[in-house]
Amino acid sequence: MLLKYALRNIKKRPVLNGIKIVGISLGLCGILFIALFIKNELSYDKQFLKAENSYRLTATSRAFLENNHFARFFAAQDLPVLTASIPEVEKFVRLAPIRGKLIKHEEQFYNIQQGFSVDATFFELFDIPLLQGNVKTVFQNANSVVVSKSLANNIFGSTNPIGKIISLPQGHFNSTKEDFQISGVMQDSKQESHLHPDILFMPGKDKIKGWAYQYLLLKENANPELVESKLSLALTNIFADDIATDKNVVNAHLMNISAIHLQSDLFREIEPNSTMTNIWVLVIAALILLLIALSNFASLNLGMAGYLSTFLTLNQILGSSKRFISSYFLIENTLIVLFSITITLLLMNPLNALFYESYQLNLLENNELFIVLIIAAVALLMIVAGLQPVLKQRFEKASLQKRLQKDSKTQVHKALLITQFSLAIVLLVMVVVISEQTNFAMDKALGAKENIVCLPLVHSEIQKDFSLFKSELLKESSITSVSAMMDTPGSETHDMFSYVLQDAPETEPGSNAIGVFAADYSFAEVFGLSFLGGKNFTHSNIDEPGNGEYLINESALHQLGYQNPQAIINKQFSLLSPVPGVTLPEGKIIGVVKDFHLSGLQNKVEPLVLFKRENSWLNSIVISYSATSKREALLSLNTIWSDLFPEYPIDYVEVNSIYKNVYKTELLQKRLILLFALISIFVCTMGVLGLALMITQSRYKEIGIRKVNGASRTEILTLLNRDFIKWLLVSFIVAVPLAYFAVNEWLEGFAYKITISPWMFLFSGALVILITLLAVSWQSYRAAIQNPVKSLRRE
Amino acid sequence: MLLQLHNIFKWVQQGGQRVFLLKDINLQVEEGEFISIMGPSGSGKSTLLNVIGMLDGFDEGEYNFFDEPVHRLKEKHRTNLYKQYIGFVFQAYHLIDELTVYENLEMPLLYKKLKSSERKAMVADMLDRFNIVGKKDLFPSQLSGGQQQLVGVARALISKPKLILADEPTGNLNSQQGIEIMELFKELNEEGVTIIQVTHSENNAKYGKRIIKLLDGRKLN
Repeated sequence: MLLKYALRNIKKRPVLNGIKIVGISLGLCGILFIALFIKNELSYDKQFLKAENSYRLTATSRAFLENNHFARFFAAQDLPVLTASIPEVEKFVRLAPIRGKLIKHEEQFYNIQQGFSVDATFFELFDIPLLQGNVKTVFQNANSVVVSKSLANNIFGSTNPIGKIISLPQGHFNSTKEDFQISGVMQDSKQESHLHPDILFMPGKDKIKGWAYQYLLLKENANPELVESKLSLALTNIFADDIATDKNVVNAHLMNISAIHLQSDLFREIEPNSTMTNIWVLVIAALILLLIALSNFASLNLGMAGYLSTFLTLNQILGSSKRFISSYFLIENTLIVLFSITITLLLMNPLNALFYESYQLNLLENNELFIVLIIAAVALLMIVAGLQPVLKQRFEKASLQKRLQKDSKTQVHKALLITQFSLAIVLLVMVVVISEQTNFAMDKALGAKENIVCLPLVHSEIQKDFSLFKSELLKESSITSVSAMMDTPGSETHDMFSYVLQDAPETEPGSNAIGVFAADYSFAEVFGLSFLGGKNFTHSNIDEPGNGEYLINESALHQLGYQNPQAIINKQFSLLSPVPGVTLPEGKIIGVVKDFHLSGLQNKVEPLVLFKRENSWLNSIVISYSATSKREALLSLNTIWSDLFPEYPIDYVEVNSIYKNVYKTELLQKRLILLFALISIFVCTMGVLGLALMITQSRYKEIGIRKVNGASRTEILTLLNRDFIKWLLVSFIVAVPLAYFAVNEWLEGFAYKITISPWMFLFSGALVILITLLAVSWQSYRAAIQNPVKSLRRE
Repeated sequence: MLLQLHNIFKWVQQGGQRVFLLKDINLQVEEGEFISIMGPSGSGKSTLLNVIGMLDGFDEGEYNFFDEPVHRLKEKHRTNLYKQYIGFVFQAYHLIDELTVYENLEMPLLYKKLKSSERKAMVADMLDRFNIVGKKDLFPSQLSGGQQQLVGVARALISKPKLILADEPTGNLNSQQGIEIMELFKELNEEGVTIIQVTHSENNAKYGKRIIKLLDGRKLN
């Protein structure tokens, strides 16, 4: 019976109940997807069976790499000796990245995305399922290789790849061509992992040297901190020749592999990671959305309770029990929430498809129980929130008689309304700040300019022919300039050389260091670097001893002890190459450029010396083209490439998109927050619209009286909107410090950041106020133009 | 002449047919008159009053108020006209529950954009005249029906209108209270205020110097 009444009452006011349902469904959808996304972020690398006992080993010391913390280690060859003495270490695996990004099969080159040379133990830590081959034997023989399913498809199509030969071509990174036999095919790595190799080479026992990522599998109940200190000791023994001092002590660091995605922010990570900050921002957004949805529902319920006053009181007079009211509201709320859940369930799949399309995240997969739990929890909260104020505020105190007589006057719960709006403003400020910061970062990053493409890490054969390639390209009118550089833009360059500078205080040779970056003479041109003093590299210079040319950035100027760029120009300068057999010519500093970003904005600009090299260290080629002729430029690039280097596949990316990839998490975050802010504001506005509707309805008579007594439309509008403006202003005042605190915390994570300025708050506040007033005024205006005769007609 | 209605028609469409609320009404009202409009329920009394008070429009005919053609005026102009010359008294008093007696009286003055000191003087004057100074801080719900209607009349008078339109002003009152209100109207009329009242009661109608009878939207006499 109650169910029938509730259904009928819901039907009677379709607009207001519709607003409730839409509000709850949107809130529920938003919260559900944030929760799923966060769960996904937290589940990184947990799919590996032994994840709990698998750790990445890194090391820092003031004796090497300036105490910089790298995700990989430069002396991987020492690991077997190192771990032999530590019984807690059960297994280790080293992953030496394949830098060439090219493999060869039957005279044809293929690009790879992420490849490693690994120890035979790889699959014992990272148990990526094998589709072909046996885990135990796949790396039994030296020079065996495992490829991912998609790479195998790419190279071999439907033919069986097992037993086929793949080779690492001779090139800059390999002195000779090396052949490998395919012994297995593995599944493509799951998205939620910090590594996604598409090829794994096993060169043989202990062939891995130099830079490699090192992972240890510890015994079941080993204490990682203890192991860490043992490793520190062992490493110090290896690297400190005689006595350990402050300067040469080595610190080992172990990090569980499942923590890497969110907590590791080292140099040379395998892939850009996310951060805990991002998770917190999303948690806050979800909480805000939840609170807004809850208070919206509560305040609408409260407002609408008046409509039912007579109905419920009459029931009580006719003998229903006191619990009647509670059960009625319980049933009504449950119905509303159930409708909303239905809508959410209907929306879920299309939304997920959208997510999958843009971010390759299938959030719904295997999460049925989680989804049910989230929905149930939120639904329960909603029902309670919707019930509480209604019962408390309206029905407990007044006597039956009074309730019947009383005009049904809409109640507005100020606290609820102010909470809602404050939160919406906070969220909007967050959106403004995050997008400003992201834009700032994108603008400031080197090459964030449009119209540059990069050929990352080209084969050394191509590097040899760079001048020919360059001159061919420059013949095309669409291409404006061409340069080559040591690394791809957006990556981390941390090579440091010792230097000698004229007039600088004598130091022990080799004890100072400065960041270096090799480039072709057109580098400044392609990236449009601005000169603070001096000039660019000269074309004709041939790097003969005594005649070398060096450009430095502003930070380097300061590191070298100068303030005025002019003063350092033409000082004698030379770099001491640590690479045996390579010497860099003595020469002069010829120019000072403004600081520019090679890597992400999370890092500060390092002092940097640019030097010109021909035929070596120029691993990546960058090409700028005129804005209007992108198509022609790319066409010419393709033609010239296939003319000159027919056997190599061309691989280029826009520099823009490289940076977008560096800022992937921030950009994703920006879009998510924007989405949730829009949802929140929409829900808020709907709620206010509902309230305005009820308020104007309950004030119809008053409006009529005022009109009869001479009030104009404007005066009525002002009267109705004044309260809302008052509440909005209070919300704004509440929101400002909250928002300031939140965005300030978030910005802490950036070395270069925008300054928070008042307009961000004013803009957000004004926008919310404007939207609300529009919604309210729509109702108020309808009331204001109403003919008073109608509202004053005898009751 | 205060106002003149000339061949006024008002109708609504119902089921494709015109239902007439007012049919060919002709009426002249001079300044200082006291008119009672009578007729059974649904005869169009209130509608006529609303038309005269410019709260409601009409479909055909002419209406001149102080030689201003009301039927041709824009809404804003019309508002100004009745703000200046007309006061309303209702059967259900129509006081605003949230405002005190004092504030209810002050309301029309607010919309005439008078200065605060002027408003104060005028409200004080009115409270004094109706002997309700002691009640000025009470809310309508704290007053008896007669007292509420007294405030209603005071509110209608405060902006010194030429014409008072009263829609069954005593309908909600007991006979003693009703007599008091009618006596008050009589006094006001003697002071020169034009009054048009709608009433069911023969007794009250007699206070008027002229009685207009309506039936089915048509004037009988």
